[in-house]
Amino acid sequence: MSKQILRALPELVQAGIIDEATAERVKVYYDHQGSASGNRLFVVFGILGAMLVGMGIVLILAHNWDDLSRSVRVTIGILPLLAGQILAGRLIFKGIDNRTWREGTGAFLFCAIGVCLSVVSQAYNMGGDLADFLLTWMCLAVPIIYVLGSGTTAMLCIAGITWYGCELSYFTYLGSHAAPMYWAVIASILPNYYYTYLRPQLKNNFYVLISWLLVLSLTICLATVGENTGRLFLIAYVSLFSAFVIAGESDLFQTGRVLSNSFLVVGSLGVVAILLTASFVDFWDWESNLDVADYSTLGIVMVALMTLIAASALVVHVRSKGVAAVNTKAYAFLFFIAVYFIGAQSAAIGALLMNLGILVLAVYTIRSGAQQNHLGILNYGLLIITALILCRFFDTDLSFVVRGLLFIGVGVGFFGTNYYLIKQRRGNT
Amino acid sequence: MRTFVIILFAATCLAQLAVPGKMIWNHERLISDGTPYKFQTQPIDPSDPFRGKYITLSFSADHTYDTADWSPGEAVNVVFTTDSAGFATVDYLTRDAPEAPFLRTTVNYKGSENVVYFHLPFDRFYMEESKAKPAEDAYAQATRDTARVCYGLVNIGSGGAVITDVFINNRSVRDIVNEIEN
Repeated sequence: MSKQILRALPELVQAGIIDEATAERVKVYYDHQGSASGNRLFVVFGILGAMLVGMGIVLILAHNWDDLSRSVRVTIGILPLLAGQILAGRLIFKGIDNRTWREGTGAFLFCAIGVCLSVVSQAYNMGGDLADFLLTWMCLAVPIIYVLGSGTTAMLCIAGITWYGCELSYFTYLGSHAAPMYWAVIASILPNYYYTYLRPQLKNNFYVLISWLLVLSLTICLATVGENTGRLFLIAYVSLFSAFVIAGESDLFQTGRVLSNSFLVVGSLGVVAILLTASFVDFWDWESNLDVADYSTLGIVMVALMTLIAASALVVHVRSKGVAAVNTKAYAFLFFIAVYFIGAQSAAIGALLMNLGILVLAVYTIRSGAQQNHLGILNYGLLIITALILCRFFDTDLSFVVRGLLFIGVGVGFFGTNYYLIKQRRGNT
Repeated sequence: MRTFVIILFAATCLAQLAVPGKMIWNHERLISDGTPYKFQTQPIDPSDPFRGKYITLSFSADHTYDTADWSPGEAVNVVFTTDSAGFATVDYLTRDAPEAPFLRTTVNYKGSENVVYFHLPFDRFYMEESKAKPAEDAYAQATRDTARVCYGLVNIGSGGAVITDVFINNRSVRDIVNEIEN
């Protein structure tokens, strides 16, 4: 695109559309853009190179060289760590602020810690499971995020500690242990996230990637504290997703593009998924083997905490934007909590209310899409209705004719609303 | 700010070196000063994504009879002794640190008839990637001959333990695998 504009500049000057000075400013602007994209490539290849070298060393040392003595193996294992530390020291003491070097060194040092711990574990045949190993690794790697200001290390730490949480709670035989250290490590990364990206409103690629990993990690690992709480824990999840929606719509996390706003995407999809799950009568009919008195205290505390966080965020958000401007999915947790207690008394009423709630949510989404002239949001609302009808396709006694008519209705709706919006856009132009 | 970063960097480097350094120090001390015990075992060969191939050792001396109340996850000090065949067997369990060499570990669960099962932290023996499978095969062959025994040599002292070798009929599994490969 920039090349086409640059090529067209002499023609535009000759035709008198722009003057020489403007043409020169356009040229300088695109030259600068070009060097910025070149720097981005350097950073990407620097990180990839460091990661590949680091992981290569991990694999080579995982061979377990029996012919080498224990002391030689341990020394070899520590060398990459020392090399990484020397590189990092050089950057810090010489005040080198080169992004490529900082990110590459952070990624290499991260791998070198893993190498060192692996080699020592091998050399002394240490037992212990993968979770302990990952936790030690991540705890030693987190300070690198602050020392080097490395976004790559932050991403690797979030991924690693998520693996730790899953390993401890989901992947281990007779697992389901809560992973308190997961929350501690995530909390230790957050100040860097705030001071590096949120406070200065730096919404670069690192911000987008770290945000995505953070949101997915929290979504995956919230259930690690939800053992023995039955379906009550879904309140914690709806509250988390509502809080995500609120965050995604706030100025602090707003990115201006839907796909780069992980909070909004995951929050919105999460709310819809849980409400759809709860729209089945069977969901409310299901009786847990657990008595309410046997619910885990930690799980109940987490449900209360997540609800409190979502409620506080909602109050702040409503005060700053006004009730009408707030995304309806932000209220989903309040609706879900109300229906939860009604559904416990009558499954049919619980399911009916949930269906109505989803319908209202979908209508508001369609309305919001029409108001913002945004085809994506409009079709998302229609998709929610389609998903709701699909769910009812399986658990209602409606005749095939009625179901068929419902689908035709939604199909016509899809066509009509999209046609209306596109026509309106053409009219505006 | 720069001073803070330098101090944090120095502390980070120290921690990154101190953690593996402490592991090395503890295990070297166990190897030189610990009391060796032979733990009867049966190895199989799984793999760890970062640390490579190892043989998992499943020991018979991982439980004992004890009337005291023990809950899962509780810390326990295990004192070992040797049976008439020279293999390690549990002497007693205690909550206080004993005079004799002991292993500090955690209780898995207390089963029926007051049998307490605990975790033995030396359940891995790392081998060169090509040798773990032959080691398992050598063990499988050895089990067909009931006269053969397989055990891990474990040094125990001051709460820690380190496995130094695995033997099949008093021969190191590494020597047996090397012999098979040659």
